[in-house]
Amino acid sequence: MDWSALQVSLSLGLGTIAVLLPFGIWLGRLLAVREFRGKLLVEALVTVPLVLPPTVLGFYLLVTFGARSPLGEAFTAFAGQSLAFSFQGLLLASAIANIPFVVQPIQRGFEAIPSDVREAAACCGLTPWQRFWQIELPLAWPGILTAAILAFAHTLGEFGVVLMVGGSIPGETRTLSVAIYDRMQAFDDRGAGIMAAALLAIAITALILTTALSRRAVPRRG
Amino acid sequence: MVYDALVTCLATVGFRLLAAATDGYRVVLSRAELDAGDRHPMRPLLWRNFRWLVTLLLLVVSAIGVEAQRPPIVAAASDLQFALDSVARRFTADTGERVELVFGSSGTLTRQVVEGAPFELFLSADESYVEKLSAAGLTRDSGVLYAVGRIVIFAPRGSPLAVDDQLAGLGRLLSSGGVKRFAIANPEHAPYGRAAEAALRARNLWQPLQPALVLGENISQAAQFAVAGDAAGGILAYSLVLAPALRDRGTFALLPESLHPPLRQRMVLLKRAGATTERFYQYLRQPAARETLRQFGFAVPPQ
Amino acid sequence: MADRSISVRLHQASPIPLDLDFTCAPGDVLAIFGPSGSGKTTILRSIAGLHRPAQGVVRSGAQTWTDTSAGVFAPPHQRAVGFVFQEYALFPHLTAAGNVMTALGHRPRAERRVRAEQLLAQVHLSSHADRRPAELSGGERQRVAVARALAREPAVLLLDEPFAAVDRDVRRRLQDEIDGLRQTIDVPMILVTHDFDDVVRLATHLLILEKGRAVAWGTLEELTSRPDLPWVRTAVGLGSVFDAVVGRSLPSRGLVELNIGGATLLASDRTLASGTAVRVRIPAREVILANRPPEGISLHNTLAGVVTEVHADAAFEHVIVQLAVGEIQLLAEVTRDAVATLGIASGLPIHALIKSVSIDVVHSHAT
Repeated sequence: MDWSALQVSLSLGLGTIAVLLPFGIWLGRLLAVREFRGKLLVEALVTVPLVLPPTVLGFYLLVTFGARSPLGEAFTAFAGQSLAFSFQGLLLASAIANIPFVVQPIQRGFEAIPSDVREAAACCGLTPWQRFWQIELPLAWPGILTAAILAFAHTLGEFGVVLMVGGSIPGETRTLSVAIYDRMQAFDDRGAGIMAAALLAIAITALILTTALSRRAVPRRG
Repeated sequence: MVYDALVTCLATVGFRLLAAATDGYRVVLSRAELDAGDRHPMRPLLWRNFRWLVTLLLLVVSAIGVEAQRPPIVAAASDLQFALDSVARRFTADTGERVELVFGSSGTLTRQVVEGAPFELFLSADESYVEKLSAAGLTRDSGVLYAVGRIVIFAPRGSPLAVDDQLAGLGRLLSSGGVKRFAIANPEHAPYGRAAEAALRARNLWQPLQPALVLGENISQAAQFAVAGDAAGGILAYSLVLAPALRDRGTFALLPESLHPPLRQRMVLLKRAGATTERFYQYLRQPAARETLRQFGFAVPPQ
Repeated sequence: MADRSISVRLHQASPIPLDLDFTCAPGDVLAIFGPSGSGKTTILRSIAGLHRPAQGVVRSGAQTWTDTSAGVFAPPHQRAVGFVFQEYALFPHLTAAGNVMTALGHRPRAERRVRAEQLLAQVHLSSHADRRPAELSGGERQRVAVARALAREPAVLLLDEPFAAVDRDVRRRLQDEIDGLRQTIDVPMILVTHDFDDVVRLATHLLILEKGRAVAWGTLEELTSRPDLPWVRTAVGLGSVFDAVVGRSLPSRGLVELNIGGATLLASDRTLASGTAVRVRIPAREVILANRPPEGISLHNTLAGVVTEVHADAAFEHVIVQLAVGEIQLLAEVTRDAVATLGIASGLPIHALIKSVSIDVVHSHAT
């Protein structure tokens, strides 16, 4: 069991959720509550990482932010590390890859709030900001929790993007899934097997949690 | 620095949002559960503080990701998978210092160095990749020759392939149509793949073998394919089949050097090499390490 | 004291056509009555700031909430509006007290819990303060919604079909609650309903809406005495509604006297006490017209009056006759034949005959 790989995987998973949640909540709520021109386009764009092969995403990230491009140099100045082969770069790649997993469940969560409950909150004298924190956020929690769990589980399983953007730098970008790949090439079936079992256990736990949560989601009407 | 600050801010906001969202979780706890207290798995008292516990826990775990000191990273061609591992362990036993090993095909590793990978030492399976890096100004010097590699033809147990040093058995099996899959490393970026191609061409087996050819991303992956279910076999690195992991998995025959250009393996210190790596570099040229390399089938050039 | 009436003027063509202009004074209950789709809820939403009309002005006392010509539009949280939604729209994750406290943001934090409990006591829900909406019945939820609306200390109370979702017995009690509220709080109340029973029980004023247009607006007495208003006629039937005070009670005969603007009616009721304020509805169909007062008849009520209007509508089979009896106006629905036979025309002295059984006495049980 490669503990540093496990830690990289966990950090990447948690980091992705942490970084994506504010953006996901903002966008998910916007898509749920408002109608605007171009909304369909935005929803389609959000779905793109879902259907994009990970290597394509990795390729474009490297081309855009690679060490030799101007954006890449800006990134290095900003992040202190080049995008490729750094945890920061991996975080960026993972965040982009997980956008649909975060935005869509959150959007459903906010859509499930009946509009008259939202209006009642306004009529109670709550400013839009207060409405968001006191009423909408607690009522949208199934969507938010689902988004967090899905993004975490998906990040743990990410392989193509990690390999392309991160390489397999131990302690930095060698996640559990990449470590399994490495162990296989070293003919260490046992080591690979242990880590694969760990990933499987995490994935199943995530599924159980998500299912349990959606079962217990009560009707949003009071 | 700014990036880390930004990420930390975002992370804090993200977890705070998650905590606020879990406020709503109260609505799924029925009155009975809220009143039950002890009997319920989530005690209300614990639950009140649960959100903060979770937030704290998550922040702590994320923070662990910031590691202070890490051992230097040595990139090596995949044929050194077992040999270098052995040398590195002896190095640690002898000096108390550690290096991290990353394996891959020489071509891929070279590309990664060009893209800024944080390697400190690069052991290629040939010389051209080292020359390329040196010309690009990414190395300390032009490096040294540390070993000469050999290739073998390998047949896993149960395969109909008869191994011999002239590839006659392969030729026979091919003509009878009994070769379903044959593994080599990808000649595009693996020196051992190039050597395999040369050997096959020398025996006029390259064209006929095309339909059955399976290309491994590096020589280790080629070895994996070679031992897999219905592969007839493959052309692998001598150093790999000598390792315990592969030794008893099938039969092999060493192929004469006349069949392919020599696998002159060069290593070079990269620009960011530190003291530990320099010591490891020197260690590799000393008798103990050289002896290990010989045990793994490498020919070691005189000092 | 500044006038705290609410004045509303709305005009738009889409999404729902609206064209109306009305005011409602503190203490009055304006019922907006009309068929579904006539725009009733849109009016409430425009007052609350949930809908921005194409053209319109909404003023509460001296404050202008909406003025499209001046580009003024205050969002709902800046309007002192108490809105009771049709399905109550309670916050499911908060208790009843929590729901009420949400609207108490304008009070200091320390006072909120106490004030919430006071409000819940006012709607007779003190014991349920810590229950969640899911644990409350429909009638209880409605009362929490009302308490929450009142917590805002609103300048106007808006109720959107408040009794639509409850059954008849609960509805009676809730109507009494709202009626009782009217006497204690001094704000205009605007009530949207398609049930005329609500109108009869609660309203002081009535606005009749058809396809977004205000067909009639005035006090309940005035409007129910009008012989036209075809939609009301088809939907609920015409009949005058007016306030009355109980005079003498005659329990041995099972009757009470009702004093109505100079006239005295006998209604069949044993339970009313003298001096009680009640509301009376006399359906037009129950009024018989006669040239002479009859004799030897079971009728208890024979009122002398004068015909003020004869309304014959080609769309309807029968004719509506409006007659003045003392200070009130009654409506009688009769056949054309009857009109011809009796020679009924404006100015003709006439007698109205009403069975005591036909008089619908509505009294509130609010204390």
